[in-house]
Amino acid sequence: MTTLLEHSRIALSSLRANWFRAALTALGVVIGVASLVAVTAVSAGAQKEVADSIRRLGGNVIKVDGEFITIGTRQSASDRTLTPQDIAALSQLPAVTAASPHQAIESIVVSAGRNQANTWLEGVTAIYSDVQNQSAVRGRLISDADVNFGRSVMVVGLDAEQRLFPGESALGKTVRVGSQEFEVIGIQARRGSLADENLDNRIFVPLPIVTRVLLGGANVVHVDLRVETEADIEPTIGAIEDVLREQHKLPDSYPDDFSAEDQASIIREAQRATTTFRVLTFSLGGIALLVGGIGIMNMMLVSVHERFREIGIRKSVGATPWKVQMQFLIEALFLSVLGGIAGVLAGIGATRMIGVFAGWQTIVSVPSLILAFSVSFAIGIFFGYYPARRAARLDPIAALRYE
Amino acid sequence: MSHDAGPSVIELADVTKVFKSGEVSVEALRGVSFAVEEREFVAIMGPSGSGKTTLLGILGCLDRPTEGSYELVGQEMSTLDETRRARVRGQRIGFVFQAYNLIPRTNAYKNVELPLVYAGVSRDERRSRVLEALASVGLAERAGHMPSQLSGGEQQRVGIARALVVEPSVILADEPTGNLDSASADEVLSILRRLNDEGATIVMVTHSSEVADHASRIIRFADGLVVADEPTERSRAAEPLGAVG
Repeated sequence: MTTLLEHSRIALSSLRANWFRAALTALGVVIGVASLVAVTAVSAGAQKEVADSIRRLGGNVIKVDGEFITIGTRQSASDRTLTPQDIAALSQLPAVTAASPHQAIESIVVSAGRNQANTWLEGVTAIYSDVQNQSAVRGRLISDADVNFGRSVMVVGLDAEQRLFPGESALGKTVRVGSQEFEVIGIQARRGSLADENLDNRIFVPLPIVTRVLLGGANVVHVDLRVETEADIEPTIGAIEDVLREQHKLPDSYPDDFSAEDQASIIREAQRATTTFRVLTFSLGGIALLVGGIGIMNMMLVSVHERFREIGIRKSVGATPWKVQMQFLIEALFLSVLGGIAGVLAGIGATRMIGVFAGWQTIVSVPSLILAFSVSFAIGIFFGYYPARRAARLDPIAALRYE
Repeated sequence: MSHDAGPSVIELADVTKVFKSGEVSVEALRGVSFAVEEREFVAIMGPSGSGKTTLLGILGCLDRPTEGSYELVGQEMSTLDETRRARVRGQRIGFVFQAYNLIPRTNAYKNVELPLVYAGVSRDERRSRVLEALASVGLAERAGHMPSQLSGGEQQRVGIARALVVEPSVILADEPTGNLDSASADEVLSILRRLNDEGATIVMVTHSSEVADHASRIIRFADGLVVADEPTERSRAAEPLGAVG
């Protein structure tokens, strides 16, 4: 133990003598470890976000969307292909427990007094809140009666509320969409964002207002169907296709003028895309570590070479090959471990910055820090071994004569 | 010499050393035999290329003889592996080099302490022994100085302190005054003589007969062989004293 302490002291003092070079050498490890820490934190955050999104949206939801189709050179006029009859038919499917048609105007300027806001307007029915796990923090949500009587009422998201009524409650106030006035009856509880969409900047009105009043017609683009269990998803998607092709009387040669996908799989697909990105960044971190390790090896080789004479002196006063090896190995370990510590700190810092500037959720986990640290330790041993071995094997006479 | 109890400090028997580089092999030592007894101060002289530096390498366990036997205080050295030889170097041999060979950017105290660190001596004991060794070469005040802050003579005295701190069986000095001006050289030589008077066994390689005269015995080398081995004036003067002691 005493000797280990002595070796550490010797190693530390020789690093101090060349501290600038040592710092530059350790930089590779710092960058590698930092990027590993940051990538792990970002990816853990992304994973949690996806899990949260799936939970928030409610599982076992199939999204049925109207689609444009092209036959020959002709394109269909609209993707609002889902009729009220379609929806009635879909809700009759055996496993379907809820059918929620909705129609969005994805960008529309609404106003309240002198305040204006560009929002996402969604026409919904009462069942929407159930399928989408939507709730109200204040007031109430769109009801069956609102839909049936075509009332000019509105539920607003928290961010939309803040933009239209800064610092005050929107409840009971009036919001204008075009020439039409709506009474705010409720404020949606915070839902966060899905992919890049801020779900709290949305405003909700009864479905007929969007379809009949703002857009004209009764068709919609979206219907969310909830099924009983996950096992029902696959067969139900098949049944949806049969029902809608039948409903739309599509000839066999025509493609579907709709799509049906389960919501969780859409998110998972998006996640797979980010996985590729993560693997890439992770490998870059790995490469940085490798380069850092080679840097350490290079510096240690240079250091051994520069100190041939010192090694000879040490050997002449009783340093055994093992002790010389330990000295240089510990020196390499110091470099990589100090680099590792700095890397962990830099990684945590970078993660914070990513959190602040990109607005991503990040999770710095203790195991990932331990892992990053262990990796830097392993690098020190691995890349320090060869130079240390060279030093240990040096012929003392040749080393002493070396100028 | 035969009247002394116990083994000789150094006992060489038919030591040869052959250096091979490719096809060429050079015989640096061609059968060297001699013994050095306790408290002797031996100067090894000879022209360059005579094998005296090679011999010092073997005596210092930095190198192994090709053939022959080398016993240090009764223990055979020629068959030891590098780890064991390193331990012998650290505990039984004190080196004094021509170029001082202090570790740079490391103060005098730490340089002198180094052999004790490798020998595993406890910190407290190291402290007292290092200070004692530095005091005996008159550098107790300079313990905190870096080699670059010391004169050549002072650096060599630190080197001597480092050699004697382990209380070695023998001090091996390789041209210890070769890099020094005459005043510093005299100082270094008088320290070596004093250490010898106090009981240290010293083997010193030199090419200068003036320096060699400080020894009690001179062994002359030529072409890898001992060509002369005789006591000096100093030895003859000191012998009666040694007999009384």
